[in-house]
Amino acid sequence: MTQPFFFFEEVNERQGVFHRRAILMGAFAGLGLTALGSRLAYLQLFETQRYEKLAVSNQFNFKLLPAPRGVIVDRNGAVLAANRPNFRLMVARDKGMDPEATLKTLADFVPLDPSRQRRLLRDINAAPRRSPVQVTEDMSWEQFSAINVRAPELPGVTADMGEVRVYPYGGAFAHVIGYVAKVNREDISSTGPNSDPILLHPGFRIGRQGVEKAFDLDLRGKPGAEKVEVDAHGREVRKDADGDIPATPGKEIQLTLDLDVQLRAEEVFGTESGAAVAMDCRTGDILCMFSGPSFDANKFVRGLTGAEYRALAQYDHKPLFNKALTATYPPGSTFKTMVALSALENGYDPATVHVCTGHWTFGRVWKCDQVHGALDLKRAIATSCDIYFYQCALAVGPDKIAETARKFGLGEIFDIGIPGQKAGLVPDRAYKKRRFPKDPVWHPGETPSMGIGQGYTHLNPLQLCVMVSRIANGQKSLHPRLIRSIGGVEQKPGSDWGDLPVDKGHLEFVREAMAAVTTSGTAARVADLGLGPIKMAGKTGTAQHYSYGSGRGVHGTAGAWELRDHAWFVAFAPYDDPRYAIAVLVEHGGFGASAAAPRAREIMRTILLKDPDVLKRVQNPTPLPELPADLPDEGASPPVPIEIQPPPPETAT
Amino acid sequence: MTVSALTRPGERERLIVKLSEVDWVFVLVLCLIAGAGALMQFSIAGSSWQPWAAAHVIRFALCVLLMVALAMIDIRVWFALAYPIYGLGVVLLIAVELVGDVRLGAQRWLSLGPVSFQPSEMMKLGIVLALARLYHGVPADRARLSWWLLIPAAMIAVPVGLVALEPDLGTAMLIALTGTAIVVMAGLSWRLIGIGIAGALAAVVPVVTFVLHDYQRERIFTFLHPETDPSGAGYHILQSMIALGSGGLLGKGYGLGSQSQLNFLPEKQTDFIFATLAEEFGFVGCVSILVLYAAVIFMALRTAYVSHSHFGRLAAAGATATFTLYVLINGAMVMGLAPVVGVPMPLLSYGGTVILTVMIGFGLVQSVRVHRYAEVTSGKGSFV
Repeated sequence: MTQPFFFFEEVNERQGVFHRRAILMGAFAGLGLTALGSRLAYLQLFETQRYEKLAVSNQFNFKLLPAPRGVIVDRNGAVLAANRPNFRLMVARDKGMDPEATLKTLADFVPLDPSRQRRLLRDINAAPRRSPVQVTEDMSWEQFSAINVRAPELPGVTADMGEVRVYPYGGAFAHVIGYVAKVNREDISSTGPNSDPILLHPGFRIGRQGVEKAFDLDLRGKPGAEKVEVDAHGREVRKDADGDIPATPGKEIQLTLDLDVQLRAEEVFGTESGAAVAMDCRTGDILCMFSGPSFDANKFVRGLTGAEYRALAQYDHKPLFNKALTATYPPGSTFKTMVALSALENGYDPATVHVCTGHWTFGRVWKCDQVHGALDLKRAIATSCDIYFYQCALAVGPDKIAETARKFGLGEIFDIGIPGQKAGLVPDRAYKKRRFPKDPVWHPGETPSMGIGQGYTHLNPLQLCVMVSRIANGQKSLHPRLIRSIGGVEQKPGSDWGDLPVDKGHLEFVREAMAAVTTSGTAARVADLGLGPIKMAGKTGTAQHYSYGSGRGVHGTAGAWELRDHAWFVAFAPYDDPRYAIAVLVEHGGFGASAAAPRAREIMRTILLKDPDVLKRVQNPTPLPELPADLPDEGASPPVPIEIQPPPPETAT
Repeated sequence: MTVSALTRPGERERLIVKLSEVDWVFVLVLCLIAGAGALMQFSIAGSSWQPWAAAHVIRFALCVLLMVALAMIDIRVWFALAYPIYGLGVVLLIAVELVGDVRLGAQRWLSLGPVSFQPSEMMKLGIVLALARLYHGVPADRARLSWWLLIPAAMIAVPVGLVALEPDLGTAMLIALTGTAIVVMAGLSWRLIGIGIAGALAAVVPVVTFVLHDYQRERIFTFLHPETDPSGAGYHILQSMIALGSGGLLGKGYGLGSQSQLNFLPEKQTDFIFATLAEEFGFVGCVSILVLYAAVIFMALRTAYVSHSHFGRLAAAGATATFTLYVLINGAMVMGLAPVVGVPMPLLSYGGTVILTVMIGFGLVQSVRVHRYAEVTSGKGSFV
């Protein structure tokens, strides 16, 4: 539209300035919009790929799914640790939900008393938003489905099926297998800055002890993932089943342990404190490793209450301790086998006779349980004469004894896969020098103590079992093996470790002496297997825990439990064809022959009867052995019942 | 209609003539922008008219009616009401300081019975009218460089200070910049402009250090380094840039923007609606909208250009400046070029206040256009 002409005559300075400035403003606005357009071009045309990636990573999340934990089986495939389905109920705090009201509603479905509701409410409010807190687990199928149906009206509530670890034999394997438990802060921080994200999954459990801990990574498997589209608040919008990554189950771990033997060990220990380790002395496979009293690992999975934990931790029988590995004890007279062997190896004449009068003076008066009279080496082992071994040890010297003992695995830590072994100690002069700088000299008076397995000598039951296995095997430097296979991969057998650098004849001598222990020596009746021709050879040990002289220590089963001697029995069987070896320790058990030997016998019986070759010999004793004329008739000598038997007089210090 | 008919005395006073003088192309462009806004609000509500799109369309339609109605009001009436509106605005701003409602930590709202509104919005119009009124009767040399300039400076400073106290930094800045734009367009000397810019730059550091609230400071620092705190204060900017960038040339398609549909984009229906549009329609869609905004600014400025009264020129230019600042500030914020300030994208964003403010401003612009030949008396002694 044309403007009336005359108005332009009024063009004044103000108008002129305004027109120029208005054009400038238009230019400014145009410049601004162009700048925005350039920025858009940069973001949308040149940087698109980068931002597309960011948008996708915003949009999709992978929800981790823990893999089924690997099962643990015994040597015959019996399941010792498995998983069972577990219906869990979880509540997470979120916008637009009232945790208190939600819990009240849930109480209609599952038992939730008000105090538990209060505790949960505190946990839920303390937890980060949208991070689920477990309300209850092990719901029945009915409870689970009832809640799942109601789930859409209950924001923040999820009911899912997870898996929970179960140990069908409760305490029998608790020390070896360990248990799993919730992940704690240290587990996450100890794995460094890039900890496995599965650790943060509420359903994940981590191995805490034993095999579960040592092989945690193998048992874990590889977690799968569920691809879900999420919104900005992390809420699931929908699932994308095609994007799911399946979980790889954890590896199966097979132990060398035998279920029947282990259960028998648990049975014979009853409430006693101690440990039993049995090995196949041809292969080194550990058939039994029991520490009593034990605890129910299933309770640890669920989580112990403070009171339950205190009860276990404060009990003087120390149920949480694996006494087969973690505790060391003076070996007592079982160590005489090593002293004798060392003597033979160093040219000692086994026919050397010492006379036992019940006491012997060497600096002070040394005592023996009995008056054994004149003895040679073999008889001294059989009757466990202390006075003979005081002098025998003096003749050999501590360094030589220690050298031999170490060849038999004493004082050694074996790689059996699980942690917690204590090395104990086989002392020698170098040790004394190192450990006691103020009194670095090995005094002659310290050698007799060592000769009967006292003094500084401290060993664990596994080591004694290895010792007796090597004596019984006679050839190989056997190593114990606990883990038979991991995920089907056979582990190195215990017989693969080279030969035992000891004279075979000397070993034969010691084996004969050990046979004498169970036929005519300290364990004459208590170690009778009652399996016809199958005989067990062994050595008793009664290890002094407290010095009697101080007025505290008690010999035998008299007096307070914690002051009594430790009872040992080490054995192998069958005597004429050694296959299995065993070491049994009964803490404060009194005498080796009465407390330890009968238990060893019972466990050994179970082992032998599972061996088809042995069973054949028991059932068809074809090469009839010559009947000992002086043997009382067989029915009249029942095996000695555990505990009730009065202590036969015998053994060390 | 012929030129002779329009020059007939009284002819331009007829309603039908006035209506025909309204820039309907301008109205159409506004409708296109508001329509794009409704389209996006429909999309992010999950293809639903509720809760935003329907309200947006209805509000905009009412505001178009209001704008046309305001365009019918004689420029001289606007002129007469200029100071009263400004004065009322200042009074209400003071009232807000004393008895206003506190919402989200800022005292911006004034309740009058069931209606509550922000006086600072009214001030955006008030400052334009009052400054245009003030400059109407002032010769060029005074407007250029003189002590008299302290008067417009004070008229700007008072409402800016009151709004900043609420605190509402975005609006305060908008009012200050609008006022400054009018002062500049009225012919401020370049030397003063230069000094002003230098002074403003020099004031940045002390203001940031001593005057701003913590959250305001945080926003500015985060803007400079959004990646330092991606889930905290940098979240808005980062998510907005992801939405923009991932849109690409043609966008992800209508209703398919993951950033906005899944709520990663904060304030997606209001301050960040441009990012939503960018994500779903890409570079092409964004540039189209920017072209529409450019058209609006150009047409409004042309109206100011052709006005015969100084009041009309400055009022229309001032209203346009407000609108332009809205667009530029919001655009810069969404694209990560400016800190997050609560300035919406006019007509595109959901929210009644901004539509009302902008459309009343355009009502004034159209009134200037309709009455561009009207004789406005000199400001002297004409305080009605």
